[in-house]
Amino acid sequence: MTAPTDDILKLDQVAVVYNNVISALHDISLTVPRGKIVALLGGNGAGKSTTLKSISTMLAGERGRVTRGTITYDGTAVKDQQPSDMVGLGMVHVLEGRRCFGHLTVEENIIAGAYSRKLSKGEMQAELDRIYTYFKRLRERRKSQAGYTSGGEQQMTAVARAMMTKPKMLLLDEPSMGLAPQLVAEIFNIAQELNKKEGVSILLAEQNTNIALRNADYGYIIETGRVMLHGPARDLLNDDKIKEFYLGISKEGRKNFRDVLRKEAESHSELYHG
Amino acid sequence: MIEVLFFFEVVLAGLLAGTMYSLVALGFVLIYKASSTFNFAQGAMVFFAVLSFVGFMEQGIPFAAAFVLTVLLMIAVGFATERLVLKPLVNQSEDTLLMATIGLAFVLQGLAQAVWGVEVRRLDLGVGDFPIPWIADNLGLFVSALDVMAGVVAATLIVILALMFKYTKMGLGLRAVADDPGAAASIGIPLKNIMLLVWSAAGFVALVAGMMWGARAGVQFALVDLALKALPVLIIGGFSSIPGAIVGGLIIGVVEKVLEVYVGPSFGGGIEGWAPFVLAIFFLLWRPEGLFGEKIIRRV
Repeated sequence: MTAPTDDILKLDQVAVVYNNVISALHDISLTVPRGKIVALLGGNGAGKSTTLKSISTMLAGERGRVTRGTITYDGTAVKDQQPSDMVGLGMVHVLEGRRCFGHLTVEENIIAGAYSRKLSKGEMQAELDRIYTYFKRLRERRKSQAGYTSGGEQQMTAVARAMMTKPKMLLLDEPSMGLAPQLVAEIFNIAQELNKKEGVSILLAEQNTNIALRNADYGYIIETGRVMLHGPARDLLNDDKIKEFYLGISKEGRKNFRDVLRKEAESHSELYHG
Repeated sequence: MIEVLFFFEVVLAGLLAGTMYSLVALGFVLIYKASSTFNFAQGAMVFFAVLSFVGFMEQGIPFAAAFVLTVLLMIAVGFATERLVLKPLVNQSEDTLLMATIGLAFVLQGLAQAVWGVEVRRLDLGVGDFPIPWIADNLGLFVSALDVMAGVVAATLIVILALMFKYTKMGLGLRAVADDPGAAASIGIPLKNIMLLVWSAAGFVALVAGMMWGARAGVQFALVDLALKALPVLIIGGFSSIPGAIVGGLIIGVVEKVLEVYVGPSFGGGIEGWAPFVLAIFFLLWRPEGLFGEKIIRRV
């Protein structure tokens, strides 16, 4: 236990190994200030999802283990907790791929999010109404079986369900996955609103660098389980290297981000290199 | 006229026997919903539960107390199963869990016989396996009182469980876990408690089913195999569906009685034992997910 600071989440040199042999994270250090949105960027297999799972303790369910480093959430060391313990502490993880309960209705999905809370019928209705003000589309679809709703509606259901746990911290794993651009924008608008109005801190894993950085306060770029670069979202957004790498525009064709970094390591004094 | 009445009698006997199949199948469905495992130990649980119940009665414990005691025992069995079998195997494949339940079946059978002995016991529920006089006199139908009681008890239990799943918080939690255990865990539904609940409920259902079967056929080892009759019930009804277990049980009950009476003689009789399995094979060809099985929802 350390005293609560203004950082709601702090990872210090975290390493993760799956099945005792597969090394997924080597050295991840990051900080989420209270009430901010932090983006975690990187390609497939960079370690974004693993990082989130190590924080929400969903790793144990996939035979993964934090082998080194410390994770501190809101003054509590994250070690042997169960995911339900973390939900009790006010942290909730929206898993990659939405993962709605397909055979339940949209509203049953959302109500399931309040499983850990003791709510009377009236309180539950009030909570639902509060949630529906953010997710207006879901109010119309609340009687539909979740498995038959559109991808965007499923993503909203997943986030709405998570918000019913009344979290202080939301871990969002690739909310943009497989969604049309307008829907992606809608989801991010909702995330912004939740952040502003509910004061929930957000750690966001994304491949869609552009929209993630537009909506975040700070960004971390990770590759093969290491933080390669981090800085305020605005600075990262205007960074040529990032534009080049993530938009795939390069004179020499696609290349490893680490090479890009090495080449231009000296410049960019405002960015910190990991 | 006699012919028609006789047919009704056969169908009715089938329906009533079917509720008992439904009851056993319900135990399977409960566990299948929560852990996607076919619990091979369900038959052993039926045997273990009713043998313990009769054992307690033999010790001079009155009926009601013995019933409560056995329910508590089955909850303890559920608790031990979660702790000693399921927890160490968390995240293993469904096949591994299936094998584990086969092991559990042997443990339960052995344990029950080691403690209570192997001889066949009689269980008297106060209702005999005789035609109800009133129905026989007024309608001309011969319906066993025991069958009727078993049918009513099974139907009541099924309705209570179905309502519980639909309308209680625990039921919602169970359905959520059945759909996606990982996502359920991520929003704080404690999987351990759900497992405990499910195994306890399955244990309770096993006890009731065992008492009904035991009253008819005697409390004996053969109950383990009788429970396997639930397999065709599940194939027809669908593994994950409570209505499926009910309807499947009724279909199996009626079909096996009707076939036994009308088709059986040309096979030399005794087709009751295997006819349901043949029916199940046809169902597998025609509708593998069962009548009520939850279709895998795939959006394209």
